[in-house]
Order: sequence, then structure tokens, then C-alpha cells
Amino acid sequence: MASLADSFLADLEELSDEENYPEEETAELADAEHDGDMDMQDLESLNYDDLDSVSKLQRTQRYKDIMQKVEEALQKGERDESTFLVEEDPEYQLIVNCNSLSVDIENEIVIIHNFIRDKYRLKFPELESLVHHPIDYARVVKKIGNETDLTLVDLEGLLPSAIIMVVSVTASTTTGKPLPEETLAKTIEACDRALVLDSAKKKVLEFVESRMGYIAPNLSAIVGSAVASRLVGSAGGLSALAKMPACNVQLLGTKKKNLAGMSRASALHVGFLEQTEVFQSTPEPLRARVVRVLAAKSTLAARIDSIRGDPTGKAGRDFREGIMKKVEKWQEPPPAKLPKPLPVPDSEPKKKRGGRRLRKMKERYAITELMKQKNRMPFGKQEETSLGDGLGEGFGMLGQAGSGKLRISVAQSKLKPKATKKFKEKSYGSSGATSGLTSSLAFTPVQGIELTNPQALGSSLLGSGTQSTYFSETGTFSKIKRT
Amino acid sequence: MFSQAFRRTAYAQCILEREMASVLLPTLTTKREIDTIIRDTLDKVVVLRFGRASDASCLQLDDILAKTSRDVSRFATIGLVDEEAEEVKVYVEYFDITLMPAIVFFFNAHHMKMDSGTADHTKWIGSFHSKHDFIDVVEAIFRGAMKGKLIVTCPLPPERIPRFQLLFKDV
Repeated sequence: MASLADSFLADLEELSDEENYPEEETAELADAEHDGDMDMQDLESLNYDDLDSVSKLQRTQRYKDIMQKVEEALQKGERDESTFLVEEDPEYQLIVNCNSLSVDIENEIVIIHNFIRDKYRLKFPELESLVHHPIDYARVVKKIGNETDLTLVDLEGLLPSAIIMVVSVTASTTTGKPLPEETLAKTIEACDRALVLDSAKKKVLEFVESRMGYIAPNLSAIVGSAVASRLVGSAGGLSALAKMPACNVQLLGTKKKNLAGMSRASALHVGFLEQTEVFQSTPEPLRARVVRVLAAKSTLAARIDSIRGDPTGKAGRDFREGIMKKVEKWQEPPPAKLPKPLPVPDSEPKKKRGGRRLRKMKERYAITELMKQKNRMPFGKQEETSLGDGLGEGFGMLGQAGSGKLRISVAQSKLKPKATKKFKEKSYGSSGATSGLTSSLAFTPVQGIELTNPQALGSSLLGSGTQSTYFSETGTFSKIKRT
Repeated sequence: MFSQAFRRTAYAQCILEREMASVLLPTLTTKREIDTIIRDTLDKVVVLRFGRASDASCLQLDDILAKTSRDVSRFATIGLVDEEAEEVKVYVEYFDITLMPAIVFFFNAHHMKMDSGTADHTKWIGSFHSKHDFIDVVEAIFRGAMKGKLIVTCPLPPERIPRFQLLFKDV
């Protein structure tokens, strides 16, 4: 790394010198390669060659001790005394160790899985994205071995048939090449080791399950000892489980990974709790509610157990009873509805609605400016009619001379968004300042040329408020007072 | 299995309600009872049915009254008067009830008249075509009475108003 920096600095110093460049560059490259080589070698030595350098758990004394004790205890069968496990009891300590050991075994399996995957990538790179579970992957790798033609390999029972199909299809088009003997042997050894660890973990969990009634009586009273041991195992200990919020406890043990678009996830977010007796015995529509109650109560029970609050397990049994009662209550039919008597007429005032929506609706039936002008009549003049001579519909004030307008423009609705200034009609005609160049002809965007009386227009706008009358040329004095 | 039991109980309850409703309509036999019900019911229409319990059209009317008694209970009280009773004959004569069944309406001790296109406005003669017709009539009386009127027009179209033709003078 230092050599790289040095070379960069040297670069900066000799910027103008082009001859030095290719030399510098090759020197850089060589350095980089050298560094890279060193890194690669480190990596190699870390992961690739020796399985034992990676997976050390099986060699530790701790592992061997615990496994031995577990074997003994499993052979011994049920405990002699059926009392609650006290902290000082060696078996309680063993169980605590078992929990932590199961977590360690999990991590170890992950490491070995990485090892197998890296080695097997040369042969079948796509397999790691198809088979996610480490143990399944190990089994599949062991079964396939160095085989190129997957039709000779029988994967029944290891994977779901859909996945087998996908694997076979992918194998026929894989970019991998068969492994050398040595690598293959190492890979198979790693698979074996993974499987051994898996079986060890299973034994440990079996032991924990059998003793679960003494470790966490309240929790086992609610969900059963099998599910309780799984919950404690996946949480990493009873105190770890007690620290979790109930929503997390509900999701412990969900199978969430979607493989190749074929999702196994149901809409219900439930993990290990799905296997409890309470859950299985509730009818379909109430399952979503029951799961939440179960998670909540089992979290409470786990908390009680972690501090040894109730050694007899009575709290757990009470919780379970409470849950069953709740489920029964949910299944009760609703009370029969009696028909209500009719309300007293005219006693409740009509709820009149208001607001923008109603005003917009009313606009459709409102009387427009046009109609208003039509309804009024000019004074002293006979109004024009559609058929002429007083027959037909009257026009009212429409089209009367002297109003200053030739057309009644459609007034813009207050509720519609205002048009931008660009599209507004520019005021035509002068608003009062008469110069010799003004004319009564106006150029409007709609109809081209119009003839208007701008004076009339201006005077009508006097009091409209849109134009200020202070500076109006046509306006009169507003107030004359004798001072 | 729960829903079946529920349905049965709800249905049974509805039937029970209906039976109870027919029992709930008070039958008035003495003059005092009639007086109390007319005087003491405040701000509610008093519907008094004069008729014989055995007559066919009377039974039909009674059925309609019973079924709607709960619906109109907030603005009407219904009572059945058996005109065979002795004390009731006074009222029968006063209201000039000749055809059975007849309904007389009161509101706050005032006698309410209704113009339904027939000759007699003081009472309603005959049964109703449906429950809702009866509710409409009672509502019209209530609205008119609340406004202070003593006579209202019938909201029903003429087809649904029972008309009687006197075939025999002495029956």
C-alpha cells in the first residue's frame, strides 16, 4: 500500500514527464499485483485449503463435554425428581450451556456452508441460489458429487419436487466444470461434518425439550414443551427470549425465503407458534387473532420464567385457560338485533351538508348570467322574442344596445381554478385615457375583431372593485367638502 | 355449528317478540280505561280500534296493528276496544260507529279527523292494505296535530282506501 502511495506522489512530481509514465505505471501495476497476490494468499489460507482451520468447534473441549453429558442424560431418561430445576443444579447449567452451544453450532454450520459453497462454485455455481438452507445444500452436494448428468442423480426426499426440477434444468445449462479429486474429497468431508453437526444440534435440542418443563414451566404450559424448546433455542436462551417484544416472538421460526418465485409463505405471520395445540384447534378465521394473543402471553410467561417468578407453572396454566376462554367468546354469536321503532316525525332536523363538493354540484343547476339577463326586461321597450313580434321566447336583456357588451361572456366559476395571466383576455379599448390612436375596434382572441363602446365598458367597471377608482379618468370627485 | 344455534335462537326470539307484541296491545273494556288512555297520553297519537275480536277483517286489522305497534311506539299508542262491552256502547253511539272495524284517532285529548275521500271524516273504517299504509296514516295525523290542525288529508292514494257500500241497512 505504501509503495502505491509513493508511486502516486512520484506521478504528481513528474507530471510533465511523459517518458516516465509507462515505467511508473508498470511499476504501479506490479506493486498492485504483488499486494493483491498477498491479499489473495491470505484469503486462500484463511478459507480454502484446510477445513480444520475454519471449523474448529468440533475439536473444542467444551463441545465434547457437553455432547457427552447430553448423551448420558438422554440415555438416563426422565428426571428422578419432578421438581423445578434450581439454578445451582448442574443440570440447569448444562441446559444453559446447551442453548449457547446450539447457537454456536448454527454459526459453525454457516461457516462450513460457506466453505462448501466456495469449493462447489467451480462445479455448479447456480446451486447456491436455488438451495438456500445450509443442510439441504450439503446433502445435495454430497448426493451429486462430481456427476455431470443430473438425471442419474436421485434427489427425491432431499428437496421439494419443484426445486428438484429447477435444479435439474439449471444443471443441464450450468457453466461449471467437474472438480479435481482433491477438492472433491475436501468438499465431501465438509458436507459430512456439516451433517454431523446438524445431528448433534438435533440431539441437544431433543434433550432441552425433554427438560423444558423444568426450565420454563409457564412457557411450556401455554405452548407445549416442543415449541417452547424451539422458541428458546432460536432466541438463544431463555433470558434472550424474555427480552424480545411479543411481535418478534410471533415471528420466530417463520419460513420466509421465497425460492424461485414459488413462495411458501402464507398470509399469516406466524412461526413456531403455528405448531402449538391452541393454534391448531382454533377455527380458520380466528387464527390471526389467536396468534397475537399467544405471542403476547407466551412472552409474559417467558419473562416470568426467566426470573423464576412462578416455579409451579400455575401462571402459565392460567394464561392458557384465559386464551381458551377468549377463543370461545369470539365464537359466540352476536346478540339478535331487535328492530328499532321509527323515529318521531320531524323531530330530527335534516342534516344539511355544505362545502366545496356541494357548491360545485349546485353550480350545475345554478342560474347563469345569461339566464339572469334573459329574465330581466328592458324598460319602455318591447323585448325581442325568438319568433319575432312578441311570439316565442323572450330574450330579455340579451343583445340590447347600450350595455357596452356585444356578447355575454361566460363568467368564470369561482370554484374552477383561475386561468393563468397568459391566457387572460387583455383588456381592450382604453380604460379612459383617450388618445388619438384609440379606436372602438378591439382585437379579441376569440372572435377576431369586435366593435365595442369602451366608454360604456369603463363606466360599468367603475364600481366593480376590480379597478381602482382613485386614478380613474372617467371617475368623478368622490367627496367635495367645504373647508 | 354455532351459527346454526344462533340462527335458531334469533328466529325464535323474533317469533316470541311478535307474539308478545300482539299481547301487548291493550284491550279496553271500561269507560274509565278509555278515558285514561285518551287523557293521559301526551304528545302521542292515540289509535283506538273499535271492533269485534271475531270478525275476519277485524282480525286482519288487529294483526297489522300488532305488527306495527313497536315501530310507531315513539309517536303513537294503540288500543283495542271491544264494542260488545256495555260501557263502551256510549262511545259507539257518540262516534256513530256502525261499520266494523273502525279506528278513531286522538291527540292530546283532541279528536283528530282525517279526510280520506270518503263521506265520514271522523273515523277510519275498515282495514289497511299493508303495514306501511297504516304507518303513513298515523304519521300524517301526527304531523298535522303537531302543527295544530284538527283535520288532515289522507296520504294514501284512493285505490288503497277501503270503501264500503251499504248493501243492507239492517244487518
